[in-house]
Amino acid sequence: MAVCIAVIAKENYPLYIRSTPTENELKFHYMVHTSLDVVDEKISAMGKALVDQRELYLGLLYPTEDYKVYGYVTNSKVKFVMVVDSSNTALRDNEIRSMFRKLHNSYTDVMCNPFYNPGDRIQSSGSVSLSRAFDNMVTSMMIQVC
Amino acid sequence: MSVPDYMQCAEDHQTLLVVVQPVGIVSEENFFRIYKRICSVSQISVRDSQRVLYIRYRHHYPPENNEWGDFQTHRKVVGLITITDCFSAKDWPQTFEKFHVQKEIYGSTLYDSRLFVFGLQGEIVEQPRTDVAFYPNYEDCQTVEKRIEDFIESLFIVLESKRLDRATDKSGDKIPLLCVPFEKKDFVGLDTDSRHYKKRCQGRMRKHVGDLCLQAGMLQDSLVHYHMSVELLRSVNDFLWLGAALEGLCSASVIYHYPGGTGGKSGARRFQGSTLPAEAANRHRPGAQEVLIDPGALTTNGINPDTSTEIGRAKNCLSPEDIIDKYKEAISYYSKYKNAGVIELEACIKAVRVLAIQKRSMEASEFLQNAVYINLRQLSEEEKIQRYSVLSELYELIGFHRKSAFFKRVAAMQCVAPSIAEPGWRACYKLLLETLPGYSLSLDPKDFSRGAHRGWAAVQMRLLHELVYASRRMGNPALSVRHLSFLLQTMLDFLSDQEKKDVTQSLENYTSKCPGTMEPIALRDGLTLPPVPFTKLPIVRHVKLLNLPASLRPHKMKSLLGQNVSTKSPFIYSPIIAHNRGEERNKKIDFQWVQGDVCEVQLMVYNPMPFELRVENMGLLTSGVEFESLPAALSLPAESGLYPVTLVGVPQTTGTITVNGKESPFMVPAQQGLLHPCMASATLGEPISALDLPVFQFLQSYYCVGFCKAPSDTPFCATVEQAGLVPSRFLCGFPLSLVGVAVARCLCRFDTKSHLHIWAWTEVEMEPRTAVAAGSGYNILITVIVIIIEKLYGDFLSWKLEETLAQFPLQPGKVATFTINIKVKLDFSCQENLLQDLSDDGISVSGFPLSSPFRQVVRPRVEGKPVNPPESNKAGDYSHVKTLEAILNFKYSGGPGHTEGYYRNLSLGLHIEVEPSVFFTRVSTLPATSTRQCHLLLDVFNSTEHELTISTRSSEALILHAGECQRMAIQVDKFNFESFPESPGEKGQFANPKQLEEERREARGLEIHSKLGICWRIPSLKRSGEASVEGLLNQLVLEHLQLAPLQWDVLVDGQLCDCESAAACQVGDPVRLEVRLTNRSPRSVGPFALTVVPFQDHQNGVHNYDLHDTISFVGSSTFYLDAVQPSGQSACLGALLFLYTGDFFLHIRFHEDSTSKELPPSWFCLPSVHVRALEAQA
Repeated sequence: MAVCIAVIAKENYPLYIRSTPTENELKFHYMVHTSLDVVDEKISAMGKALVDQRELYLGLLYPTEDYKVYGYVTNSKVKFVMVVDSSNTALRDNEIRSMFRKLHNSYTDVMCNPFYNPGDRIQSSGSVSLSRAFDNMVTSMMIQVC
Repeated sequence: MSVPDYMQCAEDHQTLLVVVQPVGIVSEENFFRIYKRICSVSQISVRDSQRVLYIRYRHHYPPENNEWGDFQTHRKVVGLITITDCFSAKDWPQTFEKFHVQKEIYGSTLYDSRLFVFGLQGEIVEQPRTDVAFYPNYEDCQTVEKRIEDFIESLFIVLESKRLDRATDKSGDKIPLLCVPFEKKDFVGLDTDSRHYKKRCQGRMRKHVGDLCLQAGMLQDSLVHYHMSVELLRSVNDFLWLGAALEGLCSASVIYHYPGGTGGKSGARRFQGSTLPAEAANRHRPGAQEVLIDPGALTTNGINPDTSTEIGRAKNCLSPEDIIDKYKEAISYYSKYKNAGVIELEACIKAVRVLAIQKRSMEASEFLQNAVYINLRQLSEEEKIQRYSVLSELYELIGFHRKSAFFKRVAAMQCVAPSIAEPGWRACYKLLLETLPGYSLSLDPKDFSRGAHRGWAAVQMRLLHELVYASRRMGNPALSVRHLSFLLQTMLDFLSDQEKKDVTQSLENYTSKCPGTMEPIALRDGLTLPPVPFTKLPIVRHVKLLNLPASLRPHKMKSLLGQNVSTKSPFIYSPIIAHNRGEERNKKIDFQWVQGDVCEVQLMVYNPMPFELRVENMGLLTSGVEFESLPAALSLPAESGLYPVTLVGVPQTTGTITVNGKESPFMVPAQQGLLHPCMASATLGEPISALDLPVFQFLQSYYCVGFCKAPSDTPFCATVEQAGLVPSRFLCGFPLSLVGVAVARCLCRFDTKSHLHIWAWTEVEMEPRTAVAAGSGYNILITVIVIIIEKLYGDFLSWKLEETLAQFPLQPGKVATFTINIKVKLDFSCQENLLQDLSDDGISVSGFPLSSPFRQVVRPRVEGKPVNPPESNKAGDYSHVKTLEAILNFKYSGGPGHTEGYYRNLSLGLHIEVEPSVFFTRVSTLPATSTRQCHLLLDVFNSTEHELTISTRSSEALILHAGECQRMAIQVDKFNFESFPESPGEKGQFANPKQLEEERREARGLEIHSKLGICWRIPSLKRSGEASVEGLLNQLVLEHLQLAPLQWDVLVDGQLCDCESAAACQVGDPVRLEVRLTNRSPRSVGPFALTVVPFQDHQNGVHNYDLHDTISFVGSSTFYLDAVQPSGQSACLGALLFLYTGDFFLHIRFHEDSTSKELPPSWFCLPSVHVRALEAQA
């Protein structure tokens, strides 16, 4: 269902990025990269809001002809960006939101791994089992057909 | 309307469009010079009134855009200025004609026009014309601005009149329907009298009047007109014009709210022009007054006269939020019309500019997103580039740097799209460079040196690749090399193996054309590309500072103060070690380098790249001490494992040195001149920046060279190759090869020519070879300590230290010689073989006194035993080589280091191989006839491959062929070992009785050796030596060789009877027999009872003891000897009477009971007495 899922560090460099049509990976890199502008904007707009009341889900960042880009930001300013095929109308905001929440939980697990250095890339083929778990979760989110 | 003006902003609605164009051939330079001057007159306060006119100049304007002039009057070309060159009056009419043709293009909308003629002189110039201005040349035209002002005023007059004309149109009159070009055919056959139609006409006209008012500087009026127009048009659903009216409303409001302008640079300039602050400017906005000037116009139009009041103003003007809403609305209306794409696009852009000022980026991005999707007709490539560039700029404006970079990159790619005949690589490159900040990429490698790479590697790599390609295509290989190096350096971690290969391959290609440099490359727009050093290659895994080789290490002399005692703790010993802080301890290296000496740092490097890596000029970067780094070069094979590299350098001064890193320019194979010296401290896994080494000033520098220069003509030294005169840094023991007991001399030479040479060579009947060395250095002081590792039968090295020391301190340039004599004593025994043989030959070593007959009996048995087989079988074993080793320790000091209390310790290993010459395979003794002598039997085996002669002091030379074994018998006097003086010192030293015994043995051996004087000689080699038997004399043999401590002397008739010869006596005469005992043993012996037993030897093995009637004793046949004190003497006397002639033997026997059992039987070895009784002489 998701075409591309990316985890971006506080300093706006990718911790993890994966897309299903692997042949055109760069396109998604560009897409996610440019979406950070919107994420930044949204974060700065809601910067005044109280931390605990802040909505982590950023909603649709921007639509392109073929895709929709959604964003989510954790309290530690780690961003999740998900690119979804815009033809997939079955995906409602709520589904996207729950997917992000799942992603967030999985990411938290990775962070809890004592062998993971915060700020390092979450290697897709990592030997650390938790990052593999994360990878599997992402895969499940990408394959899941609605 | 097809060409969008991407630079449009809301303020443009209040401007008058003037086109400035050249006619005929006008050089671009001249044209733009005038154009610039014309453009400077962009706003004019119209005389008398406070209204301000704004002019927008264009030097190019598509006429089809002009057709939309009624829709939005700022699109209408109202003025035309033509610039032309005309040098002769003859050309004038033609020029003027051209001007008219030009006028025709925009003719329908022009209010006024001007022609600027340059170069023409003469009568035509004299004629005053309003529409033509003559200037002699481009320099002499001060009145251009004035002329323009006049021109604008004339435009204003027309504008004002038009405005008034339209505004005063009676509502009853038939209002013409204004329409846009594509609408014209739609209205054909429409009922012009319908209310709907009338309203539409009215609404559109209102809007038009609003535009005119805005242009004429009457902001408030325009707002009013727009409002009315919006209402009218909304009611008739005239969406396109409704949109225009709304946009006009927005524009007017924007102008009101943001007097600074929204259009970037031009707006700023305008703001500078109107120096009034915003509020003041608003207050002086003269719209209301103008309305009042012409009250009729207002009232007739039913416009609320209160427009002048503040309330009215506030009411009519849109709030900032409303502006955006209205823009949205307007754009949504525009979007209904396919042909209004340009209008919609421009509206979007204008809205974005407003939003950028309002800092509402999100909404602005939505507008831009919309603008992206507005599909205009097929755009030319140039327009596409322009469009993407503008989008990029707008994104930049709203702070979306990444999006901006994205579009800029798209624009850059568009520049070189395959459909373009002449790709603009230069423009592409320039645009690509501009995208760098958007991808947070800086071209300075220093920014990447800290920590891990943080960025969008995939995207950045793509950009770098594009930069490389673009710079290459634009014909600047230096740039591509720089970019490619940068790519390799910064993105190394992200490149796959194939990519690495590709990148280096292309880098190699490029550098073959243009070698890389270390100079920063300056680009035209002020950007400089700093040099890219390859600090990541090769990867350094491990850094270790090496201590000096042991022989060069400085040692601190024991000073008076106890240095080793730690001052930190008051306790002499404490189990708790006062730890320093870990880091400090790790960083500080506790050894020293020496000034002027070569120091080494070992690096373990590896090459992760899938290609061979050549590194040149790899050196050490240090600080703290003047350090001369000696660069190293190496070549690392592809994907090599850890590879040790040693970097060397020489500290030139003393102090604490800090090694900061390595500098490593590297070269890809076959790539010439890509040299990047650089710092690489960051690349080291662990920072070695604080590896502090104290460098002590020391002796100039001393190498020690140990090698052997063996005489090459000595076959036994053939294994020792001449080491040559190449000084080796590492101390090698110098091997010597000696044959037998050879005497060699080792010479150690010290010369002060900045190096300490130790020359050594064997000297086997050879002349010493001395290398001549001279130079200058420091005085050297020296002490020598020799440690002999293997102690083998005494010291084999001897030297006279005093002689050498007398030469010290060594003056600069002088040579001192230290001679060591090497004398090897070999164990000539065959160890276990020998012992075995001896034990078999039991009789020969037994303590039983052997007489000649006995010997004869025994002998066949001994000889019957095969002697040769074991020797021949084991011949190989005898040729084994003995090794002797010693270490010569020289402690020397001198120069500045000496004053600081340092010395150096030079250890010189001495390795001597000794080949045996002869072996004594078997040794035994046979008693001689005299008790004072005995025979030493030696089986001599020649283990060499040469004929060898062996001689002793007394005997003839014996010739032995190679591998031959012969027995030689040497008659020796027995040794009186007890008589050796024992030095009191020795006694004290070796308290251990075992050692004492050892010492004695050795001394005895030496004694025997010197007595025997066995010498071997190899005539063919002209070599000779001594053979020692010391080692093979075991206790039993020694005992036989030793004089018994009890010396028995038998005197017959007062004559000592010891030899073979018989004592003569006469029959009938009593013969006096005296037995004398001298005790040399340290204890008292005795008393003894002796019986003399005479017998006759028949020489056939029969002894006749029955001699009672031939010999009679005078007195008793038994003697009695008192106890003898040590070193005492005792004697007993008796007499014999021989009754018959004959040969008699006297056997003196001890009474068994009186014999002390504890004394060895060999001590009671009395000589047998042979007495020949002769006939009494008459």
